[in-house]
Amino acid sequence: MREVKIVSKRFDFEDSHTLEVAKANGAYGEALKKAYTLEPTQIIEVIKKSGLRGKGGGGAPAGDKWELMPQNSDKPSFLAVNCDESEPGTFKDRQIISKDPHLLIEGILITCRAIKAKHAYIYIRGEYKQFQDILQGAIDEAYADGLLENCDITIHRGAGAYICGEKSALLESMEGKRGHPRLKPKQKECEWYFGNPTLVNNVETIASVPYIIEHGAEGYRSYGTERSPGTLLFAMSGHVKNRGVYEAEFGTSMWEYIEHFGGGVREGKKLKAVIPGGASTEVLTADEATEAKLDYESMRSMGSSLGTGGMIVMDEDTNMVEALKNLIEFYHEESCGQCTPCRDGTGLSDKLLEKILSGHATSEDIDELLELSDTMNGKTICVFAPAVSGVINSFVGKFRDEFEAYSTSKKVAK
Amino acid sequence: MSLVQVTVDDKTYEVKKDSLLIDLLIQEDLKVPYFCYHEALGADGNCRMCMVEIDGQKRPQIACDTPVKDGMVIFTKGKKLPIEKIRKDILELELINHPIDCPICDQAGECSLQDYYMEYGLHDSHMFGLEKVKHHKHIDLGSNVILDQERCVLCARCTRFCADVTKTHELGIVGRGDHAHITTLPGRKLDNPYAMNVVDLCPVGALTSKDFRFAQRVWFLESDESVCTHCAKNCNIYIDHNRLKYKDEKIYRFRPRKNLNVNGFFICNEGRLSYQNLLNNRLNRPSRANVDGIFKEALKNAKNIAILVDASLFNEEIELIREFAQKIGAKLYCPQKFYIDEDFEDDMLRSKYKAANIKTIQNLKLADEMPQNEDLIINFNHSAVLELDTSKVISFQTHKNTFNTILTIPIASYVENSGSFTNIDGITQYVEKVITLNEPIPTISEWFKRLEL
Repeated sequence: MREVKIVSKRFDFEDSHTLEVAKANGAYGEALKKAYTLEPTQIIEVIKKSGLRGKGGGGAPAGDKWELMPQNSDKPSFLAVNCDESEPGTFKDRQIISKDPHLLIEGILITCRAIKAKHAYIYIRGEYKQFQDILQGAIDEAYADGLLENCDITIHRGAGAYICGEKSALLESMEGKRGHPRLKPKQKECEWYFGNPTLVNNVETIASVPYIIEHGAEGYRSYGTERSPGTLLFAMSGHVKNRGVYEAEFGTSMWEYIEHFGGGVREGKKLKAVIPGGASTEVLTADEATEAKLDYESMRSMGSSLGTGGMIVMDEDTNMVEALKNLIEFYHEESCGQCTPCRDGTGLSDKLLEKILSGHATSEDIDELLELSDTMNGKTICVFAPAVSGVINSFVGKFRDEFEAYSTSKKVAK
Repeated sequence: MSLVQVTVDDKTYEVKKDSLLIDLLIQEDLKVPYFCYHEALGADGNCRMCMVEIDGQKRPQIACDTPVKDGMVIFTKGKKLPIEKIRKDILELELINHPIDCPICDQAGECSLQDYYMEYGLHDSHMFGLEKVKHHKHIDLGSNVILDQERCVLCARCTRFCADVTKTHELGIVGRGDHAHITTLPGRKLDNPYAMNVVDLCPVGALTSKDFRFAQRVWFLESDESVCTHCAKNCNIYIDHNRLKYKDEKIYRFRPRKNLNVNGFFICNEGRLSYQNLLNNRLNRPSRANVDGIFKEALKNAKNIAILVDASLFNEEIELIREFAQKIGAKLYCPQKFYIDEDFEDDMLRSKYKAANIKTIQNLKLADEMPQNEDLIINFNHSAVLELDTSKVISFQTHKNTFNTILTIPIASYVENSGSFTNIDGITQYVEKVITLNEPIPTISEWFKRLEL
């Protein structure tokens, strides 16, 4: 396994969040200088060539999104950096803003040049107060150093809603409204913040930009796979020895990653399942997990998705019914309540799971849960409900016997 | 505007390019269920009920957020996709936390949820052993609006009305998921002159009118088209009325009626409640028996006759009175200050003239002053009569008075008569007779015939 540190290169230095340490280790150096010699469209061209993909979970090509931003707009353009990291099992962005905020600021400066924006907002999760303070400190330092003369950066703090990580709900929230996702546009277009063209990108996506500009598209493409180039800050939580965030290139074997960085499953237990990329991705069985490769295409081919790369590892002692209940409780709590299938579907699935856990359910209740999951799939404004549907389908589909064991006739012995 | 051809359920329609698919479905009465869409408020896409299949799209699409394109092929009941099952499943989710209180719900009979259940649902409950989410009941929002949160389907029509139409933003949604509910800010009320429209907008029984609730079951009501005469705008309305056994006609409510040229979709609260005085305290007999004799005697003895004309009479009646005035050489008066209420006027619907036909009075240039030094004043329902020497007055009026006149003659109100009004924007609308009282009161023209004027 090849060691690679693109985004996490300064994470381990002492006081890496300070301007002094960051500058001494290459921040605001070559990448920024090179970016200022390039025309905005040339920067976008480099990003497109690099194949950089959005690292917030969707994995859409970043360059295509940048290209949708108008270059000659009579309205001001904005950049909104999505730091509303609330996906269970995902904690990579907070590493960037607390350990190397200057990398993000540098990325913002380059991105704003490319899309001709003079103001960037960082929408930060409300619960990330301590990380926000570090980030704000870094921004203050950057202002004092004169780095932000042509581009303002403002932190906008969320109020704790998971759905505000959805880009249009994020913008609604930033406009001071209720965080409800917007109806999808009929053609490809940029996002809109108070009617002004806006680019929304994940923290890590923006933090990858300086490296790409400095080393060129080919430099970035030398890592990862053909269609998923570069690296991702994969994270590991659950039943592994060393939980945490470790950068690796796309295409790495999942099991190799868990063994190498995580030290394998804790206490020598056997692996049971892995949720590959944050709670909203379909769970993989142990067999699938040992086969899996950490890139978008391989994950897709296994019927799951890479998501944010935040793996939740579960050992043989895990009760999958309780695990699903735990996840669905989260979705029930966080459904924004806009569309009917999600608003009432998440609540009903939570209740059905409670019924299953209480031992009063029958096989029909499990079928009903699956049917409900089908109703939630593909009928809503955003992808929240379809994600919930995928989670339910994968858990029940792959571990149905555990759910059946709870049904009235044969209650599981604990 | 270019037209495009779309095919819905094997029939081809020509519609404006980029108009919304749901408008076509509603207009052609191609059954499609919906809660959140409203012509006045546009698409919000939250109820997900108006799902249709569009050829070439692998997922069902909501008709309210689909602009029509040339050659679009739509299946409202689905061809490859199980559209009817999808509607049924989503409807079931609307219903899982809904109380089954139709027998005591005032919306019953005009409730979309009820109608759609009969049309698309008819499923058994899956809620055995599961508890419903409980919300609050009977919250007085203000402006005569009562909220039952547990009946709400969160279509957000009411919040969008307050945000987009009145721009007063009193209502909002609070809470997430199935805990989301409509509310006002703590300590604040729903308080704007158009607030009661949210009752009509609400597709279910969540918002009901304090004024109408529990007064009558809607299936006992007759609905007739008319206009509101509270001000000079003449907003189009439905008058909901009935006659119970052994009782006389009663009006229960006014509801707005769509007319894009006049009022759009809404009416104001005051106009809506103006039905209350229409049939109450009515004058139904002349003050003295010998109407014909007294009337002719008074006409014969008078030299200077003034005629007071109310600005809420029909055009036809005003014309009749003008002819009569010419015949007897009387001067017509209509002092307008009695109608003017500057505070009432706003930039939406309300006009400062609180009289339906003020435009005709202005067009005819009737004297905008009080009659002076006359021997006889013939009043046609004008309230200026109160400031005159009533001993010289013969008064035709709809409602009872407390003053002494030579003669007081009852006349039918506009709902018991047909005729036309010209509104403040110059639009003339013909209004049909709606109410026939057990003992009908003669109209002005009937009196004219009877008195051979």
